[in-house]
Amino acid sequence: MTDTLVPLLVAGPLLGALLTVAAGLLDDRAPPVVAVLTLVGQVGLAGWMGSRALLDGPLSNGVGGFVAPYGIELVVDGVSAVIVSLVALVSLGVLFYAVDDDPGGTAFYTEYLLLVAGLSGMSVTGDVFNLYVFLEISGLATYALVASAGTGRSAVAALKYLLFGTVAASLYLLGVGYALVATGTLNMADLSVKLAQVGYDSPLVLASFGFIVVGLATKAALFPLHTWQPDAYNDAPDSVSAFISALVSTVAAYALFRLLYTVYTPAFFEAVPVARDALVVFATLSIVVGSVLAVVQSEVKRMLAYSSVSQYGLVVVGLAIGTPAAVFGAVVHLVGHAVMKGGLFVAAGTVDDLTGARTVDEYAGLADRFPVLGGASALLMLAMVGVPPAVGFAGKWYIALGAVRAGTWPVAVIIFGSTLLTLAYFTLLIERMFVAPASPSVRAATDGGERGLDRPDRPSRVALTLIVVAAVAAIALGLAVTNLQVALEPTLDTLLAT
Amino acid sequence: MSGPDDRETAGIDATTDRAVGADSGPDTVTTPTPDTDPDPDMVTDTGPDSAGRVSRPAAERQPYVESTIIMTTVRVIAPFVLTLGAFVMFHGASSAGGGFQGGVIAATTVIMLGFAFGINPVADRLRNEYLGVLLILGVGTFLAIGFGGYLAGDTFLEVSAYETVIDHGSKYSIELVEVGIGVVVAGVITGLFFLLGTGIDSVAIGTEDDTE
Repeated sequence: MTDTLVPLLVAGPLLGALLTVAAGLLDDRAPPVVAVLTLVGQVGLAGWMGSRALLDGPLSNGVGGFVAPYGIELVVDGVSAVIVSLVALVSLGVLFYAVDDDPGGTAFYTEYLLLVAGLSGMSVTGDVFNLYVFLEISGLATYALVASAGTGRSAVAALKYLLFGTVAASLYLLGVGYALVATGTLNMADLSVKLAQVGYDSPLVLASFGFIVVGLATKAALFPLHTWQPDAYNDAPDSVSAFISALVSTVAAYALFRLLYTVYTPAFFEAVPVARDALVVFATLSIVVGSVLAVVQSEVKRMLAYSSVSQYGLVVVGLAIGTPAAVFGAVVHLVGHAVMKGGLFVAAGTVDDLTGARTVDEYAGLADRFPVLGGASALLMLAMVGVPPAVGFAGKWYIALGAVRAGTWPVAVIIFGSTLLTLAYFTLLIERMFVAPASPSVRAATDGGERGLDRPDRPSRVALTLIVVAAVAAIALGLAVTNLQVALEPTLDTLLAT
Repeated sequence: MSGPDDRETAGIDATTDRAVGADSGPDTVTTPTPDTDPDPDMVTDTGPDSAGRVSRPAAERQPYVESTIIMTTVRVIAPFVLTLGAFVMFHGASSAGGGFQGGVIAATTVIMLGFAFGINPVADRLRNEYLGVLLILGVGTFLAIGFGGYLAGDTFLEVSAYETVIDHGSKYSIELVEVGIGVVVAGVITGLFFLLGTGIDSVAIGTEDDTE
């Protein structure tokens, strides 16, 4: 019975998007209400299905009663259960911030729900072509959301993202095409069997692997394919940066995980070790360059964006190393990064609203004036650096552990080095916030008089709650990581069995 | 017949125009090349006018002149085009055709009306609500068929289950989905055309702060 309800994870937000349009025609105030109700339903559904999948084993459904491999199969296994629940929860949380911070029109909430539909679809689909369709749905919705700030800069950022995203999705599609030519199937589970029959060293299979990895790596913003990402994060409306930084690249990285372990399987890596090595080098490069670029940024949002480049490098390294610990670490880091980075972007947006401060220097003295905001942000930053017991530590620890166990010592060293760099740029910011004397914009925000016309004099309750919840979640997830490991063990064992 | 010198003069004209009108709006686009349109919002292709410029801003253009020939022709063929669009849409399930192609053909009816009666008058009639209703009808049809699958059968979009409800039920339900796609496509094409045709005049080009 539960199995047949899996399509609702995608159809629900889609219906919500439709109702939002309808509600918008009737009343201007209705769309946010419909969007919130839809996502509350989505959280319930995802939570229920996710717990069933984690407890009772994978759920699967052939859409429309067409049996896989001919029909489109939707699957909720342990990892997709985690991701689809993450998507539902984070999108609901950020939606509250969006409603509170910059109330958009009907179009905004419709695009928001379409994006949730696309991301949920990417999380649960078991069909590589269907994944492409959802990739495009979420991509198109993201471009529109980035542009919804209405400024020239956001339009340019959206256009840049559109060009990159379209090329990335096309490369992915090309890879899917090669795989289809080699095997004649699009179903992931079926592909894994047929690819093995074709032979992993067949040029068609190798080409499909290359195209798919490059396409998804662009979506996940790995160096040197990340150039769309800082602009998109920086110039989008605050709530949209929080949303896309937390989820869009996360789900793309999840898709890469799905392709690597459900379609190509670890046997592919064993047959073609150069593919694994290339992926490891690619991702470590991303870790190092992303961190270095983050250190040299003066704008906070851009710094957070480059930090994401480095963190996704870390995730992909975990995926490429492929030991159980490393893959589990990658999943943990994916979830942890979404929570922490989403919270930090909400914090950055709130600070911008309060004081107009956007650069590291302008953050000076912030924690004195807004202690809760400053404290919770600092907590999130330290969690991101990887201070135990936060989830940032757990993720990095498992990935490094996996790297050591696999005998790839250099990777473990690089993870440690990048942690130092992460510490460098976040400590700089924390030092500004807590120690340095207040910057003019921070002073203006609290002294009154000079304050901007419609700047609030304290952080909005919704934003503050979200940041604190994110900080608490970052620590709670870190403490609960062993439980998660037990819950995910069967799924990962199945995927990693060669 | 117009050598490089003429073009140079035209460029100077254009830049002078810009300098004069510079304080009229927050338009930040700069056009350094000589033969670029002085007003980048409105690019028309009317050929060189007496001043040697290759295009004119909308304010200087002649208003749309109603042509009896075009209006009569459009009036006669519009119903046929719409019928063809519907025909193509309805043949999506069992033969060549489909919602995407049919939707585009149906949308050309409205676009033809735009050409015949002027884009602005037609755009004034096309209210946002109409396109919204088209969208809701289109996507709503798909979702209704999808969710109906739970009622008729076991799972989402289970079209084969409609066989038990009505003869050839699966065919009719797929047909309905095609029509839904067609309606959405027609709405999107019409919306895009008139958005481009009338121009987006309220683009907020401002500082970062005033947008949130």
